[in-house]
Amino acid sequence: MSNTKIITNNWGKIDPDKIESYIAVGGYSALKKFIRDLDAQTVLAEIKKSGLCGRGGAGFSTGDKLSLVATQGGEKYFICNLDESEPGTHKDRSIVDNNPHVLLEGIILSSLIIGAKKAFIYINGHYEKQKEILEMALEQAEKNEFLGRGIIGSCYDLEVEIFQGAGAYVCGEETALINSMEGNRGEPKLRPPYPTGSGLWGKPTCVNNAETVSNIPWIILNGADAYSKIGAPCSPGTKLYILGGSIRNPGVVEAPTGITIRELIFNFGGGLPRGKEFWFTQIGGASGHLVLESELDTPLTFSRECPVSLGSGAILVVDRSVNIYDLILSWTGFFRRESCGKCLSCREGTFRLHEIAGRLQDGEISDRDKESLKDILWTLNNTTFCPLGKFAATAMGDAILKLKILGD
Amino acid sequence: MRSIEKVLLEFDPETRNLLPALKKISAAFGYVSEKDAKKTAEYFSIPLSKTYETASFYDLVWTKKQPSLAVQVCSGTNCAVSGSFEVIKEMENYLKIKAGDGFNSKIKLEIISCLGQCGEGPVVVVNGKIFTRVTASGVHGILEEWL
Repeated sequence: MSNTKIITNNWGKIDPDKIESYIAVGGYSALKKFIRDLDAQTVLAEIKKSGLCGRGGAGFSTGDKLSLVATQGGEKYFICNLDESEPGTHKDRSIVDNNPHVLLEGIILSSLIIGAKKAFIYINGHYEKQKEILEMALEQAEKNEFLGRGIIGSCYDLEVEIFQGAGAYVCGEETALINSMEGNRGEPKLRPPYPTGSGLWGKPTCVNNAETVSNIPWIILNGADAYSKIGAPCSPGTKLYILGGSIRNPGVVEAPTGITIRELIFNFGGGLPRGKEFWFTQIGGASGHLVLESELDTPLTFSRECPVSLGSGAILVVDRSVNIYDLILSWTGFFRRESCGKCLSCREGTFRLHEIAGRLQDGEISDRDKESLKDILWTLNNTTFCPLGKFAATAMGDAILKLKILGD
Repeated sequence: MRSIEKVLLEFDPETRNLLPALKKISAAFGYVSEKDAKKTAEYFSIPLSKTYETASFYDLVWTKKQPSLAVQVCSGTNCAVSGSFEVIKEMENYLKIKAGDGFNSKIKLEIISCLGQCGEGPVVVVNGKIFTRVTASGVHGILEEWL
């Protein structure tokens, strides 16, 4: 497997506070190449060919999303989704901490490709330091004429604004994110219309995850063919994985898609600390599936056929010493707090699930609870308005099925 | 102390600035009071109900006066496996309140969701100050200076 690094390539080598240090390693040359030699149509075709898909978890083709907005006329917007609040996920924060300009270059390129004159960065409300880093990066980019009116002497104009969220998990969902920017409650909207047709203030809007955006400069410089050769054929490229829990080297690593969970934990993460025995791992944050020892050789991809969805890329390793009831309380408590309250099945379902989790921890679970647990999980899985409800049921369902927390 | 009018004047009266304005008011005065919410509604030319609708949704905008000691403990998955529930139990014993209760007007202990500091958990926030890698035995040391 290739060891190509796309996003983490310059981490630790450059000074995130200085644009000169990014330019010195070839930064912003994709933007220069785009403006001097290429046009939006060619680049769009190239991104489509590369097979790049959304890194936020859903895995929708980025090229398709961009072209849905690019083909429409009039005013349109580009939004970079940096509202990362999935527990155990801090990849986008690490991108900003280590190399904010690669993200910024990706945002500028994506906006120019779709023909937007205004772009937003929707940043998590808790990321104060990262907001300051980005503000500084924006200022430096403007001084170097990578932003503003007439980018590097061309006729392209672009303004980038940072919008900070206020601590709501559901705002990572694109329609909820747009609602929040419009000054409403961050509740998801009914789709269709999709944001690509009618998004921010009713205008076509493209919302892309920060990690997805950071791949774009590399694709422009190295071509789609080189990109599509990396990783799994169904969803090529590299992915940032966040290793956490009982692992020797926790943190963010970049590896190709299609890698197995075992490789990630034992080669990249250095295995479990001495004296800890592997129990299971959760892929993709609190909303992810549980994976037992026997399934560790599953390759991780974004494809729907893949038994374990990659989600945000968070890998939580749990050893035998962990109290599973604490973890269940953590999952259910998280979704109870973050449920936006728009639909009944999620509002009530997550609440009751948390109640039962509390009784489970106290050892007071009754037969009636066990019965209703099935109903609640089914309801969350099948009837909620947005995927949050489904996520709330995933881990709990897996814990019952695979870890047999209720007995056989 | 700045006046509410001064804070509002920093923003153009467009609904897109409503959430940033509410955040700023909440940070400057501790919470968005009814009086301030009315002024905000007037400034943005929107109904008071709409202002509250937005204000009450977000974690970083408070609509009630906050107690002088607000302790928050992260219970995200990574913090949970590194023992945040033990920390919560220890805090409950030490502060003599139950997590999530709103009965004590001076102290509040809250369980919160992920702050993106994973890998350095359990994370505890005391009146906005962040402590990482907190253990149950370290709880006393952290809280002592605030009591």
